[in-house]
Amino acid sequence: MDRWKQYGSLGGLFAVCLAAGLWGFTATGGALPWAKRSAKTLQRGVQEGSGALVDLGRGIVVAGPIRKGGLVTEFAAVTGLLTLVGVGVYLYVDRYAADTDRDERATR
Amino acid sequence: MAHIHLGEGSFPLWALAVWTALGVGLLSVVVSRLRTGGIETRQVALAGIGAAASFAIFQLNVPIWGGVHMNLTGLVGILAGPLLGTLIALVVNVFSAAMGHGAVGLLGANVLVNASEAIVAYYLFRTLVGLDWDAFPAGAGAATVGLSVGAVVMGGIIVVSGVNGSALPRADLAVAVAGLVGLNLGVALVEGVLTGFVVQFLASVRPDLVGTGASDAAAESTGVTA
Repeated sequence: MDRWKQYGSLGGLFAVCLAAGLWGFTATGGALPWAKRSAKTLQRGVQEGSGALVDLGRGIVVAGPIRKGGLVTEFAAVTGLLTLVGVGVYLYVDRYAADTDRDERATR
Repeated sequence: MAHIHLGEGSFPLWALAVWTALGVGLLSVVVSRLRTGGIETRQVALAGIGAAASFAIFQLNVPIWGGVHMNLTGLVGILAGPLLGTLIALVVNVFSAAMGHGAVGLLGANVLVNASEAIVAYYLFRTLVGLDWDAFPAGAGAATVGLSVGAVVMGGIIVVSGVNGSALPRADLAVAVAGLVGLNLGVALVEGVLTGFVVQFLASVRPDLVGTGASDAAAESTGVTA
């Protein structure tokens, strides 16, 4: 398919999502963290608000329930464990499973 | 980033039963199809890494749109497929709920939400690649639409269930939830662009992982061409 058609379609999709996002942002209280936004909106309905779309000063933080519950270490441990298992399986497959699959195809 | 963040007891009991039953039903179908159809070893490895990445990014609050988290379920669906993508959605939600991020009682509902993202992203990506789309627009478009569908499913679940303690009439609740869904579409855009870049990178270094050049590579390796 022509590249301009691909990127034109993608641009249209992004424009719809951006418009919906901007409306949702202002209609649900503006610059609020998701948990506070969700609770206020579902209890009191839509309330106009504003604020910066991007607030780099706040940085990337661990989700409130984990941070406030003192579970950051557990979060890091689970992430590390899942990463180790994932990378371990990937390396295993990359080194050994390809040979096994080739052998299986050869014996068919 | 669609994910129902309400606390325990937010939904009426009948709603919990319905969403849990539907979630269990979906997982039963997935497990049954995996048992009968089997899994490629390569997909298991991708599923492991996908689960780790999705779980990690699930818990990180990014300072855009007021503060949101991403899911990577679109990317997970594209890489691991709809069946393993659904199982990854379950694993990520179980670990998240165990840490207080999402209610245990809403596991069924949240699995439905996140699984729908992975499933839609996978099938749309395959369709777009079949239509000869490049990796970036196919990956970005599929992930954005998948995540948008997940947001709509999330909104539908909340509106159908109703929220305990909310005095809003159902019509006002629907408008309020539509605002939350709309914001999720904005987040889907950001996550879609990121997914597009990841898919494009993988397509250039390991096209077999995203299925954009596997047939060509296989033809070259066997020396047989049409």
